[in-house]
Amino acid sequence: MTTATVHTNPRPSINFRRLVPLWLLLPSLLVLILVQFYPTAYTIYISLNRLRAGELIWVGTANFERLFKDANFFDSLEKSLTFVGSTVIATILLGLLVAVLLNYRSRWNPLYMVLLFVPWVISDVVAGTVWRWLFQQDYGLIQNAIQPLTGDTSLYARPDGAMLIVILATIWRSLPFTSLLFLGALQNVSQEVVEGAALDGAGRLTTFLRITLPIIRPTLIVGVILATIGGLNSVGVILTLTGNIPATETASVYLYEQGWRFGDFGLGAAISIVMFVINLALTLVYLRFQGEE
Amino acid sequence: MVRSQRQKQLDSIIVNSLLMLVCLVSLFPVAYALTTSFKSEAEVLTRPPYFFPRTWTLDAYEQIFRSDLVRYHLGNTFINAFGSSVLIVIFAIPAAYAFSRYKFWGSKALQLLILALIMIPTLTNLVALYRMASELGILNTNFVMITIYLATGLPFGIWILKSSIDSIPHEIEEAALIDGCGPLDVIRRIVIPLALPGIITTFLMEFVFYWNEFLVAVIMLSKNTMKTATVGLLDFQRSYEVAYHVWMAGSVIIIAPVLITFIILRRQFFRAMLQGAVKG
Repeated sequence: MTTATVHTNPRPSINFRRLVPLWLLLPSLLVLILVQFYPTAYTIYISLNRLRAGELIWVGTANFERLFKDANFFDSLEKSLTFVGSTVIATILLGLLVAVLLNYRSRWNPLYMVLLFVPWVISDVVAGTVWRWLFQQDYGLIQNAIQPLTGDTSLYARPDGAMLIVILATIWRSLPFTSLLFLGALQNVSQEVVEGAALDGAGRLTTFLRITLPIIRPTLIVGVILATIGGLNSVGVILTLTGNIPATETASVYLYEQGWRFGDFGLGAAISIVMFVINLALTLVYLRFQGEE
Repeated sequence: MVRSQRQKQLDSIIVNSLLMLVCLVSLFPVAYALTTSFKSEAEVLTRPPYFFPRTWTLDAYEQIFRSDLVRYHLGNTFINAFGSSVLIVIFAIPAAYAFSRYKFWGSKALQLLILALIMIPTLTNLVALYRMASELGILNTNFVMITIYLATGLPFGIWILKSSIDSIPHEIEEAALIDGCGPLDVIRRIVIPLALPGIITTFLMEFVFYWNEFLVAVIMLSKNTMKTATVGLLDFQRSYEVAYHVWMAGSVIIIAPVLITFIILRRQFFRAMLQGAVKG
């Protein structure tokens, strides 16, 4: 191969060229195989074992049986449903609204975009810390402002209230990216189509619902998938905002607690697998919506 | 489309006031964290609370600058985030180029698999990764953090960079290939300069993400000198009950570097994103 440079027959160099994409992909593929695919397979293996004195002992499906009899796990799934459901719906609706507003292309847009993106650059742990301070029971700025509404028990101390704060902080953090995603889609909608509908006498709202929304539906679905996955696997905001109180113990927080605070790796791995299947199933359902006309 | 001048003015007023409201809500918690960080402990523990400090003081920052957060954790955060983001870009460029420019068996399937990896949350693999790291004896190292970040950020990097390279016309490269340049030369001399906005966007998104990353860090790092800033902040919460001005100073210190990076690189980022770097 190395001496093929002056070869008149082009075949060896063509064969060499066919291998080029493999060489280009090889570093990435190696990393993904070792640090993504192998750990996933290993997770499945661990879920069928129990850890005793640092050794894995085969227990078959015992971890899954324990998990499906565990009332706390189903409680945490219910919390996840509330948490993910509210954050996804609110983020998508608000994101759409902000995108529509930005699409009017006010001359202040560059400034708005920078300010809007401040929550995006903030870590979930920092966001949790800052929001915790706003709602702190005695000295929190917002808690004091809403004191007449909450009475003696602060919002933070109420189970529903704690969940509400976690939801608000999560929406706050995920709104910028979702808005930008939708704005990109709105800017690609042909102006002629929209104006044509307006000429036919359709109102602005009707045009938006009937023409624009269906066109940007694929991007809407991407937004829903990203928000759902983000919510299902959220740990940092919840852990810092409310600690590990039962009121906000979603399935992801429960996994964190079981795996690392109690060192029950077998159960932790079993929860991982169940969560993974839920993630996958939801993504597939959403993608069906994307494809169907 | 006939729309009166007055209607347009009204639209503009409504749009601008709503956007100002959204920006205010976005900014408010951070602004309050900033003003709190300049309060004294006595002012933080005053009821009812108020927004601006009566007397501005650097007490909280003095405590923060003497803490482990500044001594160890911020440095580790920078090494892990910067190291992994640079490596992600270096690994992702050739891979994205291969997907964009070559037709080969299994290309579509591989791309789909990589897209699926973006959807798999890090949480899924953490139990296994923890076991692997502890068996290899590499818990509490920058190496394990950078390796895991590289692997979890790579699929997203390849995805964005592929759509970025797709939008470059390939005639220039073909001329260079005929002139005898190898694919790596073409990537270095032609693709990288032309795909620079996409590369900067990828770097920015990965850097912000891993600067802020918490879950992998809190699980892999238990040794104080190896911890990252987000983990350190959580320790702070646990050890300094009610010292909110100090937590807020810590939060501001963690936010500042990424916020500045974001403000510097924002134009390329917004342009690349609005051109559909991330889409369905």
